[in-house]
Parts: sequence; C-alpha cells; structure tokens
Amino acid sequence: MEAAEPEKSVIQIFTFSQEPDWDEPWNSSQVRRATGSGFVIEGNRIMTNAHVVSWAKQIMVRRFQDSRPHLAQVAYVGHDCDLALLEVEDETFFEGLKPLSIGVLPEVRSVVNTIGYPAGGEQISYTSGVVSRVELINYVQPGNRSLLAVQTDAAINPGNSGGPVMMDDQVVGVAFQGTPGLENTGFFIPPPVIQHFLKDVQDTHYHGFPQAGIRLSPLINPAYRKYLKLEAPDLGARIDTLMSDSAKEFLREDDVLLEANGYPVSADTTILYEGNQVHGGIAFSQAQHSSKVPVKIWRDGGELELELPVFVNYKDRLEGNQYVPPKYFAYAGLIFTPLSRDYLSSFGQNWSAVAGIGLLYELFYRKNTEPERSRTEPVMLSTVLAHPVNANMEIRGRVLVDSVNGKRIDSMNDLIKAFESHEGSHHLIEFGERLGFECLDRDAANSANNQILQTYGIQLDRQL
Amino acid sequence: MIRIFSSLLLAALTSSAVLTLKAEPESDLWGRSLVQIESTRHQYEFFQPWSRRTSSNSKFGVVVGGQRILTTADYLFDHTVLRVQKGGRGAWYEASLKWIDYHANLALVEVEDTGFWTGLKPVKFADPVPVTGEAKLIRWNDGRLEMRRLEINRLRMGRSALSYVDLPQLELDSEIDGVGWSEAVVYQGSLIGLTTSQARSKCTAVPSFFIEKVLEEVEQQRFLGVGYFNFYWKKAENPAVLDYLKLEGEKRGVIVTEIISIPGHETSVKPKDILLKVDGFDIDITGDYLDPVYGNMMLERLATRGHWAGDKIPMTVWRDGAEIELEFKLATADYNKEYVPSARYDMPPEYLMAGGLVFQPLTEPYLRSWGSEWQRRAPVRLVRLKERRPTEENPGCVLLSLVLPDSYNLGYQDYRYLALDKVNGMKITNLPELKHALDHPKESFHVIEFLPGESVQKMVLDAVQLKSATQRVMFDYRLPTDYFVGSKDSEP
Repeated sequence: MEAAEPEKSVIQIFTFSQEPDWDEPWNSSQVRRATGSGFVIEGNRIMTNAHVVSWAKQIMVRRFQDSRPHLAQVAYVGHDCDLALLEVEDETFFEGLKPLSIGVLPEVRSVVNTIGYPAGGEQISYTSGVVSRVELINYVQPGNRSLLAVQTDAAINPGNSGGPVMMDDQVVGVAFQGTPGLENTGFFIPPPVIQHFLKDVQDTHYHGFPQAGIRLSPLINPAYRKYLKLEAPDLGARIDTLMSDSAKEFLREDDVLLEANGYPVSADTTILYEGNQVHGGIAFSQAQHSSKVPVKIWRDGGELELELPVFVNYKDRLEGNQYVPPKYFAYAGLIFTPLSRDYLSSFGQNWSAVAGIGLLYELFYRKNTEPERSRTEPVMLSTVLAHPVNANMEIRGRVLVDSVNGKRIDSMNDLIKAFESHEGSHHLIEFGERLGFECLDRDAANSANNQILQTYGIQLDRQL
Repeated sequence: MIRIFSSLLLAALTSSAVLTLKAEPESDLWGRSLVQIESTRHQYEFFQPWSRRTSSNSKFGVVVGGQRILTTADYLFDHTVLRVQKGGRGAWYEASLKWIDYHANLALVEVEDTGFWTGLKPVKFADPVPVTGEAKLIRWNDGRLEMRRLEINRLRMGRSALSYVDLPQLELDSEIDGVGWSEAVVYQGSLIGLTTSQARSKCTAVPSFFIEKVLEEVEQQRFLGVGYFNFYWKKAENPAVLDYLKLEGEKRGVIVTEIISIPGHETSVKPKDILLKVDGFDIDITGDYLDPVYGNMMLERLATRGHWAGDKIPMTVWRDGAEIELEFKLATADYNKEYVPSARYDMPPEYLMAGGLVFQPLTEPYLRSWGSEWQRRAPVRLVRLKERRPTEENPGCVLLSLVLPDSYNLGYQDYRYLALDKVNGMKITNLPELKHALDHPKESFHVIEFLPGESVQKMVLDAVQLKSATQRVMFDYRLPTDYFVGSKDSEP
C-alpha cells in the first residue's frame, strides 16, 4: 500500500557520537550510537533537533521503508533552539520526496500527530494528542535558554526527537523533549521558532535568538504604579534590571514597558501572543540578531517610543551546554580549563553539590552581584598530574585560579600569557577562597613539561 | 550437663561480685560529683520569627568548688528553666546560670537550695591529661551510674562545637551510644574532660587542663574570652613555595595566606609571611610546635595556651627576605563581629514587620532553617554572603525574608529571601536602621532597594497606609509585635 505523503518525508537518523571528557579535556568518551528522526523541507534539507546530531562523528539517514543508509552532514545547527539542518551527500536521496511545509502555531485543544522513529522498534510510529498549552519553557539542549514551546499529550519518546508534529499535512512542530516524572507530557518546537531559525540561516550563518537584555518585573502593586504616575491599572511591566549594553544605552531602570514589538505588555509581564498569554520576552526573541524592536515605554510620567537594538547574548555561554571541545592548557602536570557548566557536570549527577557554593557562585551569580569582580572566562586548575616537579603541591585540583605571577586571570589566554611571559625563577599561582597559593620552580617545570605530556598521553599541551 | 551449668553460674556470680567490689568506691566517688541537668529551652522558627516552641534536654555536669556545677554550654542557650538532680533520682532542684561562654563551650550553674549540696563533692581535675590509654565515661542512666570504658585516641585541636575557634579536644574511641551531653570522662579518679560531640564511634571532650585555666580566669573575674589567630595559613611542604619566599636556612614555618579582617582589630601578620616562631615555639612545615607536655600540637593551641582574647603573643616571621619579630594581638571570638553571625545565643530571632513585609537580619541560624544540608539548599546568594567580612560602614545584612499576603502588599506576595541595600535612600545594615528609614518616607512612598544580583532590585510601598496595614497584618497573622530587637529579656 502506498504510504501517505507526510510519512515518506520523515527520515530516520543514526548517529555515532563521541563527547569530550571535561575532566580530562584531551580525552573523549566512548563512541555511542543513537537514533533520531527528521523530515525533509524545501531545498533538499533535513530538519531535526540539534541534540540528535550533537557531537556526531558520523550521521546516516534512511528514507521511509528503505533500508539503504546515506551519509549526511550538518549544514546549520542552532543549539539555543535545538534545531539543525542536514544535507545529504547523495543528491538522489531526495528524489521522489516532497518537502513538508511549515504551518502556523496550533491552537490549544487542537489535535496533532507525531511521526517518527521512537525507540522500541524499527518502523515508523504515529501518535496523536491534543495541544495542551503554549508557553515559554527552558530548552534542555542549551540549558540556559527559554523559548516558546507547545505541550502535548501525544507520546514523545527518545528517537522521536527531530520528527515532525503534523496538523492538516503541515508541520506545526518539531518533537524535542519531555519532562521527567510527568506522564503523557511532551513538548514540540512550534513554527515561530522554526521559521526564525530558517530565516536566520538565510545569510549562511546562524546567529541565534536575541534578547532584550532586560529583566522584567511585575508592576501590580498600586503604590508602585502611583509612584511611577501610571494610571492604567493593568498595562505595563517594570524594567527592573538592565543587563545588556544596548539596554543600558536606550533604557533606564524603572522604565515601564507598555508595548514590545506591537504587543501590549500586561502588568504581570505577559503578552497575548496568538491567543496565548506568554512571557513578554517572546516579543523580543521574534526579532533577528542585531535588528531593532519597536517598544513603547513609560518614563517620567509620559510615553516614549523607541527602537531597541537586540542582540544574541554570547556572554553567558559558559553557563549553558556549549557543544565545542573544551579548552585546556597543560603545564608541568597542572591542567587548566575554563569553569563552565560542562566542566562542572563532569563532577557527576550530583554536580552542583560536589562543586560547592564557591564555584556555583563564580559561574552563575557573580556577574550580577559583583560585576566589577566577575571574570569573562574563569579558569580552573582542574587536576594535577603527579610528577616530582609538582608532587609537593598541597592543592591538587578543582580550584579556581585567581592570578598567575601576579596577573589576574580573566581568561585562558591571560593564563597562558602569564605563564609564558614570566621570567622569574618561580611561578606563583594564587587561588583565593582561603586556598592560598602554590609555586613551581620554573626551570624544573619547563624541563618536565614534555615528559609529563608523554607519560599521561596528552598529544597537545593546549586546546583553545 | 548439670555440673557444667553449675560451674558456669558460679563463675558468673564470682566475676560479678569481684566487679562490684572493685567498682564500688569509684561509683561512690563519681555518684557524689556527677549531677543531671534538665534544660528547657525556646526553639525558634526563623521562617516565622515570632513563633516559639520549647523543648527539654537532659545533660550532665560535675560539681566544682564554690558550690557550682560545671557543664558544657551546649543546650543551655535560650533556656527558660534549669533544674538539677543529684544521685540520678529523686528531687529536682531549681538552678540558674552563673556564667557561660559559648566559644569556650563551658558554663557554671548554681543552685540556691543548700540542701542540694549535702553529700556532693567537687571533682579533681587531671593535669596533665593522659593522651593515650583507657578512660571511663560516666553518666546517670535511669537512676543508675553508668561507667563505660573508652579509649583515648589523642589530644588535638578542633573546631569548638558552638564556635568558629579551634580549641584543644580529647578524641576518644567508644562504642557507647548517645554521647556528647557533657558526660564526665575520668581517669584514675580525676576528671580529664567533658564530652561535647559524637560522630559514629568517635567522640570528643573538652580537656580538663583547658577547663581549669578558664575557671581560674572566671574565678579571678578576668576572663576576657577565647582568643584566636584571625588568619588562614598553609603548610610549607612544597619547597618551591619557601624558595619563592627566599627563606634562608632549613625548611620551616607555615605561610599566612589570608587575613580575616575584623573592624577595629589590627592584625600584624600579612599574607605570604612565614610564621617561624609563635610564643617562643618553633613552627614546623606542617604547622605544629613541640608542646613540652603534649608533644606535637597544631599552632592554634598557642592562642589558648595561657593566653586569652586581646593578649599579645610574640611571633617571629619571615617577611620580604628577612626575619622580623612582632607582637600578634589575639582576636576576640565574637559572633557580632561577623557579617553573617554564625550564632545568636540567648536571643530570639529579631524581625520587623511592615505592611506584611517581614524583615530579618541574615544570620547562620536563619540559614540553618533549610535543614542539615542548608549550605546546599538555602539560596546561593545568601549562603555566599557568609564569606563577606564586616566593615565599619557595612557590618551586617537585613533580608526581606517573607511577605504575609495582604491587600496592601498586592503583587509582592512571592518576594522572599531578598537582601536589602537601601530603604528611602538610606543604607540598611540592621533593623534599627530599617526602622529609622521607614520613619522617613520619600514623599508618600517607601522605596526599598535590594543588593545587586537579587531577583528583584526595587519595590515601592504606600507610606500613608503602612501603619494601618501593619496593624491589620499583625491581627490577621497573630503577631505579638511588629518589631522585635534585643535579648530574650525584652521579649514581647
């Protein structure tokens, strides 16, 4: 029997992937095999989730009811929105396949169908469910980004990831994640996010979803509204904190955001978006990187209209999952690497407890509480590979480096420069946080360096 | 079969009789010196600082000269009633606290009723205390004097149970359960310590030589408190560190890494100083000195070896390539000199409630409300503030700890655990400052600002309606007062 059209365009994806080892950054984990789903879109491309192809060494794709594997590669990947586009080396792969078109955001209570290749079998699988709600949720792939997502009770299981969620023969979402502990709850990436990603890559470079660089706070208390001379009882949320340079240039704290990108902003910080009450941040993430978003502001008792430039925030990359090989520098058996969420997660499932307050504070909080003392790329002494040159050091790793040879360490480049430009007889490495400092005999360290790299099987002394 | 049984029974009777005969004089001795103390205490709920509950604990004390009972300070704080009992049974006598020091973890209890003292006998302190061998733990257990063997492991420096200072501790090995209630640890008829804590099969005791010295000072009314070295140091086991600091001669000393700054206290050592001698004793690369009585001890011992808070101790340090002599003034252990006080004994939680907004000083007891894993469970920003050192201008921190919902504070009901920066433009470091600031609104508003990085930076309240809202919330939530600052004697 001839399959219906959408099924033919749903692709099974196999990957062989290898993740880095953040604890020993010159090493990698074992090669792991995984499966996912995808679907063909305009331009002979396959859309899937970023997490399906993350760290993939080899990607293979297979058509509906066709056992032949074809090699594919990533054309674009957006980890912040968990989407990727694949290209297939063999152009004939797409022959006879009709690209699926992207529809619109489905309404709550409408019925959608999920198609894909979930775990538990080789054949294509269909599930249907109801759109339960539409809201801003945390995307697990980046870990520190929230975008619009749709919740459904259609089963979304491992292997479904990247597959289309269909309504009336149009794609209304890309299945991508569930919630541990919640039954019959799956989430899919809706058309506004998909379209944003596709538009973004039109210039052959993926930038990401911009942010307004502000923190909105509800403006419900009548006294605060009176203080700001705001008469409308439920319109406008307060700009509590300015975080980006652009926001600091154009906005002021205690400005009230009345309208963003044409959407009236309620006192509770939400906007009415396609019939859904969602966080006002959505209004800014609809724009592309480095564009301007029209906003209406209440300031000093009057309305003000301005165009707010919005940009992708790259400064918080260390706080999220990064999908780039870890940086490191190995010197005299001392292994240095940036403090990042990826690094801390190498401490195990209970990583935040193991890391302790000091490291969590440094990575996630200091930039807001003490911006003048925060570092762009805090550097850890992750471990010390034992050798007579360092054997007497009391500190053996998992500590933050404050300075080297008197120079404050703000990044890996600072660290390497501080070691390599030093001419004194000893290196002085200071750690702060009551840990004090350690010293290395410079001549002995330089002499031992290559031998240590060889002993511990480290091919390169650095990866930046 | 019968014969065997009979001889076993005889053997059991014989050994029991021998034990009883041997133990009798000692049990008489300790039975007349060890008393039971019952302490009924307030327990405060910091998440609702006006709430009060009580609990009772039973612990032990020993009779000392001058008709006083010596015990550890633990579980005597926030007490409402103290009672003592002698002989492990019979009447309870009303008692009162004569003297207490939480850092030293020692207290003296007195009993007015002279009848209580009849038949009681002061203990003899051992000096020096043995640091190896077998000792006995003595306590009352259901009217019976329990005497159990324990092994003395060593004498070491360790963190005092109620303080952040290191004090000498006897470490004891014991399989006895439920130790740490100031049971007497005795050796050859003398008291060698009072237990302070237990962790699995190890327990600790405050040694008698330390107790005796403290009591002498108290007796002479010159006890200035426990002193400590307000700096961190590291071992000098890495020769490259000593080479870097250009130390001449043999490898020795330890390296100062950080000064714990205390407002108004001058600290004469500096980071990267090498401590070579403290109070005339050479310091080795692990931080030990050779004590004439107890052998190798950590240098912290020298802060309490005949010295008290404020005393000046001679030190020899290596600084900038030369040996120098200096005097180090011992810092005074004082919870009030911490930015986030690690304890607030004999003081109910302080708070100020305004319009349903509850403000409290940030203290460690407050953070401990998150349970035994409070360092992991309490908000990171607040736990981290414990690292902050006080200054003259910024000695402490006040939180908006919770909001009691009312029409007045609509929109703010979810605000909690927020550290205050300013109120009506005035910097806030304690509750009296907050009260003063709330008496000075900005026109008809109160403007409350929080420290950078808090989840909200600012809130505004109606100043005109504040008083009536406060009264309404007090009534609705049954608060005894809207403002409590002070000791338990000034409780509402």
